[in-house]
Amino acid sequence: MGAITGMASDITFGGWEAVALIINAICARIFLNFPREVAEDAGTAGWLETVYFSILAFLLFYIIARLYARFNRKDILDIAGLAGGETGRIIGGLLLLGLILFAGALILREYTENMKIISLTDSPLGFVMMFFAVAMVAACFLGLEPIVRFIAVSVPIITAGLLFIVLMVAPYYDPTHLLPALGNGFYGIFGKGFFKLSTYSPLVYLFLIPPFLKDQKSFRRIGYTALGASALLLLISSLAYSLVYSYPTSLENFLPVFQLARLINYGRFFQRLESVFVLTFAISAMQYLGVILFFAVHVFKKTFRLEYHRPIILPFAVIMFSLAFVPSNLMTAIDLETKTYMTFAWSITFILPIIILLLARLRAAPGPLGAHPGGSPPTGGHLPESSPQGASATYRRRRSKGGGAL
Amino acid sequence: MGRVMTDSAYFSREKTTMITIAKIRAGGQPPMNLLNTLKGLLIYKEPEPVEKFILRENDNEASLSNQTDNKQTDNKQQDQKENESDRGTKKLKRQDRGGGGEPPPISRMLQNNLDYIKERFSVPTNSDVMIREFNVIVGKKAIPAFMVYYDGMVDRIVVDTDILMPLMLLSNLDIKSGDARIDVYIRNHLLTHNQIKEVEEFDQVLGEVNFGGCGIFVDGMNTAFAADVKGFEHRTVERPNTEMVIQGPQEGFTETIRVNTALIRKKLKDENLIVEDHLVGERSKTPCSILYIKNLANDSLVAEVRRRLGSIKVDYVQDSGEIEQLIEDSTYITSPQMVSTERPDRVAAMLTEGRAAVIVHGSPFVLVMPTTAFELIHSPEDSYLRVPYANLLRCIRTIAILVALLLPGLYMAITNFHQEMIPTGLLLSLEAAREKVPFPSIVEILIMEVSFELIREAGIRIPGTIGPTLGIIGALILGQAAVAASIVSPILIIIVAVTGLGSFAIPSYSYAYSFRILRFGYIVLGSVAGFLGLSLGIFLQGMLLVSSKSFGVPFFAPFAPRTAGLGDTLLQDPVWKRERRPDYLNPKDNFRQPKISRGWTRQNNGGDNRNGK
Repeated sequence: MGAITGMASDITFGGWEAVALIINAICARIFLNFPREVAEDAGTAGWLETVYFSILAFLLFYIIARLYARFNRKDILDIAGLAGGETGRIIGGLLLLGLILFAGALILREYTENMKIISLTDSPLGFVMMFFAVAMVAACFLGLEPIVRFIAVSVPIITAGLLFIVLMVAPYYDPTHLLPALGNGFYGIFGKGFFKLSTYSPLVYLFLIPPFLKDQKSFRRIGYTALGASALLLLISSLAYSLVYSYPTSLENFLPVFQLARLINYGRFFQRLESVFVLTFAISAMQYLGVILFFAVHVFKKTFRLEYHRPIILPFAVIMFSLAFVPSNLMTAIDLETKTYMTFAWSITFILPIIILLLARLRAAPGPLGAHPGGSPPTGGHLPESSPQGASATYRRRRSKGGGAL
Repeated sequence: MGRVMTDSAYFSREKTTMITIAKIRAGGQPPMNLLNTLKGLLIYKEPEPVEKFILRENDNEASLSNQTDNKQTDNKQQDQKENESDRGTKKLKRQDRGGGGEPPPISRMLQNNLDYIKERFSVPTNSDVMIREFNVIVGKKAIPAFMVYYDGMVDRIVVDTDILMPLMLLSNLDIKSGDARIDVYIRNHLLTHNQIKEVEEFDQVLGEVNFGGCGIFVDGMNTAFAADVKGFEHRTVERPNTEMVIQGPQEGFTETIRVNTALIRKKLKDENLIVEDHLVGERSKTPCSILYIKNLANDSLVAEVRRRLGSIKVDYVQDSGEIEQLIEDSTYITSPQMVSTERPDRVAAMLTEGRAAVIVHGSPFVLVMPTTAFELIHSPEDSYLRVPYANLLRCIRTIAILVALLLPGLYMAITNFHQEMIPTGLLLSLEAAREKVPFPSIVEILIMEVSFELIREAGIRIPGTIGPTLGIIGALILGQAAVAASIVSPILIIIVAVTGLGSFAIPSYSYAYSFRILRFGYIVLGSVAGFLGLSLGIFLQGMLLVSSKSFGVPFFAPFAPRTAGLGDTLLQDPVWKRERRPDYLNPKDNFRQPKISRGWTRQNNGGDNRNGK
């Protein structure tokens, strides 16, 4: 729940919004090719690979969260500034910006191509992409507050849609499709699976939102909750896909969840419900792209200490739009994602923050850093509490619910 | 100002023509006028120049202000030479002509006051202004006085019996009083009217008179009495027209502010209910009231309502709809950001949640703020119905909103892009029905939607007596005739009709407007990009909604941001389970009832369980 005040730097939002933001960013890949990718790596043990790299992600995040403990309400760029001064902040910012833009352009292209294939076969690529571009620019102009609020509302609905598909194809489940249990072997699961850590690269947004969160405790809780929920959804999707399709078929399918949705056939009337998938797919994509563009602009603004971010929204949108056209076709885009992005994204997501945090801890004096200004948490909201007692009581109540105020 | 033909000249010419015709009919010789007329028909004659009336602009401000300045300077010089009593009158007139400055104080000299009042009320041009001069007997003295009021605005009986009679007749009685001052004597012993106040400035008297009161001036007093003797015609309390309910109170607000405040007080017998009066409109001086419960509503909310209302600088305000536009957070978002209701029970219930309300004199609709997107789909009847019934209605209303907003767009998306969703049998029958229609489906649906909107708008404007005609026309357009003419397909008529029904089922009139507007957007998006277009529409609308606020409260609360108390949003909790007030309102008291509100379920403690607190 978000307590919002007038100044952008004073925007704070609560646990659920932040969790939903991360879940949506990580699980957007489910609607793309994630279940097939793990099937390609580990064969019938794709679900096991998901469990493996999820555990790795938890461990790495545990380290980061411990290191973060002293840096209340500071994001990774602030900490990079503490670790390496101006140069550190700029290098860190450019690396993050590169990751975000690269991911954004690839995802924009993939979403567009997929949408064109499943729904708008006759429309030009630019026309389809324009819809996503309009959505992300509008979202970015409205700001982080509406984005996280919208995501907080839509994520449960999108999750319900995903679970609906998974449940509706239950008659096609065949447990023998999970055999052999170790699939393509240890290297497939644990070797290739290590690079699948990049699936959790959207966790980088969590390192950028501490200034908007209430306290360090919620940062840690948000991280674990988001990772847990995302891991569960990734697991469910890969498991359901493996249960329905045999290994050879699972390698051929394009847009695995869409293919699952196509199987739904209950009675004579409900024969082709996969178009409903388009709605959830597109809305999930739009909000994720909105998040990507916002954080790209935010990182750039913060890296170079700009005062306003709105003037650079359109240029960044044009850059993303143009980069998305660089791959010559969908297969090249997927290739870039699986072979290039997945290879290095995990390092910027997990290793770079660890290095920055370690350097910052070495350079900084002992004691808590970046305590909340004024020593008290923000009450938030345009409608102040009626009395001091009431205010603190309400704040405690909201904290306990993990939410923000108005 | 042009020269125009006067009435008398016109009638004289008509008369001449009629006499001529009468003479000809009587067989007499045609006079010269007839020859002239015939000549006029044959020979071209330059038309007489007739200057038509032109609404000219006023003199420019510069010359006006120069003149005013000159007059003021002259007046100042004159004032210095004149005696005190004269100066008082001149000063009053000067200030009035100048049109600015502070209002003058009331003079002790009755004649000065009378002159000033006559000038301000433009007597005798202003025909409904009544000035009644009379004498008040105080002791053995007869003191001149006068009263001013608008004919038709005051209650004549009250004026006669409570104002004039005591002043003119009862003053002869032997009243034992030690009051030496005239004003105190009159106020304490002579004026028997219950709503009277002594004022020191003309503007106060004028304000009262303009709103159906009367002003009483007495010689020797530098104050006046302003009596509330309103007696203008007004509508009585009737059933609300736009928020009818089957079960529940049947009273609606009227156009009179005090009737409306009384209707609320009748429901809410709480001395903490505050009614704060404000005047809005430089010229209309429309009385408005802010209502809130002192020990419940958030202070900052009340202050914000007061601030917004007090800062309005407009000339004329007639209805709460105008006030709504002046104080709302966002003008261009389609959704209303306040509840506009004509039901006192609804206002009373919302005030007890910690909200504020604004009543505008002349409007039967009261504004309640803040509100959220979900409250706008609530009906006042929900609270009066048992929970299963109320929730059924809420579900139906939610479906109605989805239908009103999305159904035509979905139809466009499915028929143009996602035909696979349509079962084969239905698809074949749809195609068969559309076979003869020459238009693409987007044109077809826009024709029908625009026709439907035309019928709806015409239905509001059309006089009642020819209303049935509209029904016939409507049936032709939205009926078999349109299908027979192969302009639209039958399925489309069903789509448009169901969409119309959906929009009628939305309880808030303004909210229904919002969906009517957005529906066209979804039609276009659905027709150009199918579900992708609809997704974009939903995303943009959702983003706008969650970014909006109503008096500091997020419009999508309690879902975004998430706050406590989801019980009365999409579905309704039982009455006994509504312990908390809406959290997003930040009221001074979060609980409206104890956790155990039905004492009989806990026989041991007699229902005195306050654990919920």
